[in-house]
Amino acid sequence: MSGLPILSILVFLPLAGCLLLLPVRKRPALARPLVLGVALGELALTIWLYASWQALALRKSLLPGYLLAEDAAWIPDFGIRYTLGLDGVSLLMVMLTALTFCTALLVSWNSIQEKCCLFLCLMLVMETGIMGVFLSLDLALFYLFWEVMLIPMFFLIGIWGHGRRLYSTVKFFLFTLAGSLLMLLAIIGLHLLHAGQTGVATFSLPELLHTQMLPATQLWLFAAFLLAFAIKFPLFPLHTWLPDAHTDAPTAGSVILAGLLLKTGSYGLIRFGYPLFPQAAQQLTPLLYTLAVTGIIYASLVAFAQEDMKRLIAYSSIGHMGFVAIGIATWQPVALSGAIIQMANHGVTTGALFCLVGMLDERAHTREIRAFGGLWGKIPVWSFFFLLFSVTSMGVPGLNSFVGEFLILVGTMKQSPLVVGLAFIGVILPLIYMARLVQETLFQQERQPLTLVDLNLREIILLSVLLLLDIWVGVHPAPLLDLIHLPVQLLTGGAP
Amino acid sequence: MNSLDVMALMPLIILTAGCVLVLLAGAVRPGGYLYWSAMVVVVAALLWSVAVPIETVMPGLAVTRFSRTCSAFLYGTGLVALLLAAGYTRRRGIVGEEYPATLLFGLVGMGVVCAASDLLMLFLGLEAFTFAFYILVAVERDSGRGGEAGLKYLLNGTLSAAVMGMGMALVYVASGTLKLAELASAARTPDTLLLAGLALILLGLAFKLSLVPAHLWTADVYQGAPAPVTALLSTASKGAAVVAFLLLFPLLGGWRGFHDLLWLLALLTLLSGNLAALAQTSIKRMLAWSSIGQMGYVALAFVALPAGGGRAALFYTVAYAAAGLASFGAVTVLSENSDRDDLEEYRGLGYKNPLAGAALALAMFSLAGIPPAAGFMAKFGVFAAALRGGETVLALAGVLMALVAVFFYLRVVVVLYMKPADVLTAAERPLSLPEQLALVIPMLAMLALGVYPSPLLDLLEGLLR
Repeated sequence: MSGLPILSILVFLPLAGCLLLLPVRKRPALARPLVLGVALGELALTIWLYASWQALALRKSLLPGYLLAEDAAWIPDFGIRYTLGLDGVSLLMVMLTALTFCTALLVSWNSIQEKCCLFLCLMLVMETGIMGVFLSLDLALFYLFWEVMLIPMFFLIGIWGHGRRLYSTVKFFLFTLAGSLLMLLAIIGLHLLHAGQTGVATFSLPELLHTQMLPATQLWLFAAFLLAFAIKFPLFPLHTWLPDAHTDAPTAGSVILAGLLLKTGSYGLIRFGYPLFPQAAQQLTPLLYTLAVTGIIYASLVAFAQEDMKRLIAYSSIGHMGFVAIGIATWQPVALSGAIIQMANHGVTTGALFCLVGMLDERAHTREIRAFGGLWGKIPVWSFFFLLFSVTSMGVPGLNSFVGEFLILVGTMKQSPLVVGLAFIGVILPLIYMARLVQETLFQQERQPLTLVDLNLREIILLSVLLLLDIWVGVHPAPLLDLIHLPVQLLTGGAP
Repeated sequence: MNSLDVMALMPLIILTAGCVLVLLAGAVRPGGYLYWSAMVVVVAALLWSVAVPIETVMPGLAVTRFSRTCSAFLYGTGLVALLLAAGYTRRRGIVGEEYPATLLFGLVGMGVVCAASDLLMLFLGLEAFTFAFYILVAVERDSGRGGEAGLKYLLNGTLSAAVMGMGMALVYVASGTLKLAELASAARTPDTLLLAGLALILLGLAFKLSLVPAHLWTADVYQGAPAPVTALLSTASKGAAVVAFLLLFPLLGGWRGFHDLLWLLALLTLLSGNLAALAQTSIKRMLAWSSIGQMGYVALAFVALPAGGGRAALFYTVAYAAAGLASFGAVTVLSENSDRDDLEEYRGLGYKNPLAGAALALAMFSLAGIPPAAGFMAKFGVFAAALRGGETVLALAGVLMALVAVFFYLRVVVVLYMKPADVLTAAERPLSLPEQLALVIPMLAMLALGVYPSPLLDLLEGLLR
């Protein structure tokens, strides 16, 4: 299969799926399985890539350091090329993307009835956008995908959302775009700087890595990149769009927001921000630490006060992503590996938690913590999964979040014990608020007489797969660490 | 004038003859067929411009690759506007031959602008198409708003024509010639009189481009004019003015002050256009202010003209024209006996009238500069040129205003797709074939230019070299 442009297929297969959708656009019963088939096809493709990554690593690739790469001229007038590249980090993210889309489709199987085909079509477009973000190695192409993935999410929240959905979706869009537009200027600035030095007009990441910059220039450009990524992350104090967007989004939207859109921020920082501007990044490390630690503690404290389950999980997301930020800020192999593993973990675990809340919402039509109680006796299967994923989210050893957080803290210890000490508070606090959440909903006395139906087979299969993944990564993370070992070494500048 | 010249001028001849014929035929037998005849005439002129590569220089006119391509683009926008107008005028009871004939006359003026090689021809071309718009804006005689808009446009337009004419007179007094090529060399060592004349010409052009402070007519005229006229006024008229500016630009290089003047115009236009659009509740007024803001980006490209801004400005104009035609086109086809003017009246229309809704939404994304629509590539080109020219402040202002603009553009999309439609409103009328074509052509242009802009960029690069 080496002759096939596998990465392009990975990116554009979902978009092609949109065309398949056209003939069945009036028949949701056919369209749903079709789209799920496309999503499963993507998943199978990524799993195949994962199964053969070691073989791919032995082959010579178009770009050194990448397992697979594709490159073609696209807009020579602007110096923009169509360059895709896959290394261990992007492979992990691509796998997460394919998995999360299957999750999102399955969880919204019955809940999206209105304008179903538009929904499915937007999902496919979004998958193309996100795959593109994780695979682009040309900054302009990256930016293009980065914006393309916003539009479907904008519609997703605005059309199928709840509550103040219009407010939330516009806020989400404006926040994200504010950062991105400045990043666009920085990208063009970097491009011109490079062109001025070498005479080669290019947006290609491997070439731009060699650009010489004055410290002040580097700082400005990095600040623009950091702003864009920090909003997506989201880092304190730029996080305010996230609780709104999460709360008002449909379940599939929340799953994708938490599972993938936040990861594009951290991925961008790892792939572009730090490698392009190493000195500036080092200079701003204290800032990043401060924001991350403040965010962890702040978000955890705010999570205590939440009455809406979705909002609580949204705030816990901000805390978890704070750990990822610490791992990236340390920029040292162990911590960075931890950050990358944590990105995948958080995607699976928080995605699963949003699925669970969504399933409960579908049945009870409320997400107020106070409305529930005694669910353990009423819907035992749901409660079982909810308990386990909550425990995972707390970072209990043997489950996946522990691995990530542990690596991040160990790696950071040498550089900044103070940060680790403060971040440790952020390990404790989730224990408390998640325990409260579990206790209130599962074990309290029943507060309102709700007639609830337990999970069906589709939901059980979906959650079991996610749970098994959590346990597998928690018990045996070595294969994933192997996968990202080489790219992490290359990124942090050590010997492979 | 030899036969070669006649061949080169054939598009203009076709249009002029067509204009007269339509006028005569309308006197004998009015009817919808006049629109179809006018379309045939425009298509013929367009095809001739594209297909017959004859280049000649005549007194006052120079048919070059640049002029042929630019005029073909303007004829194309005229064609789309005719497709839109055919159904609209029938629904509104605007009968008679004056609409298609005047539109053809306006296109002649635009063709002359593109080929002008001296100031007099440029003035004639500019005023010819502006004259056509004086009529078209007020063509709906029973509409009070149309009359008001026509008068406003007429008064402002004649004032700007007077200013521009005065400027040309001063230039002539100072240099003794009207030929653009000779003026360009004279302008290298400018004297005060010449500079004053050029500044007045610039002010006149600023009116056509609705650059601040010569923009105040825009919102009222766009709102009052019939929607298909606004579609053409906001695209072709601006396109022709951009071409005129590019022809005049060699005259402006001699004095640094013009750079500063343009810089200020660009900044003011960016700020006031986008900020004022925020406060609008009428969709046509919002689009009018947004078009002012969009012209701010073209002006930004003008400021960076030595750094490759010419190509950026032309590309931006094409991308903007596609979005402008699509958005005013959608307003046209959605308007029945009265204009749907309030934004709230568009609730849920994205589902009731999918094609018009999609055209409007795509146009909004394109105007907001969000990929994969053409507007993104256009803004990309403008920002790249601006940064290359060292205009960092303007580029930053442009980016901030692009963010502001996203807010009001998104509001349209929100209304179209995310607010429930009124239950009371009747089912939407199915679109006729010309209307569908008039919406699909700009939509395809927006998508194609957004995904694969290289061919057009190459073409424009070749034109400007």
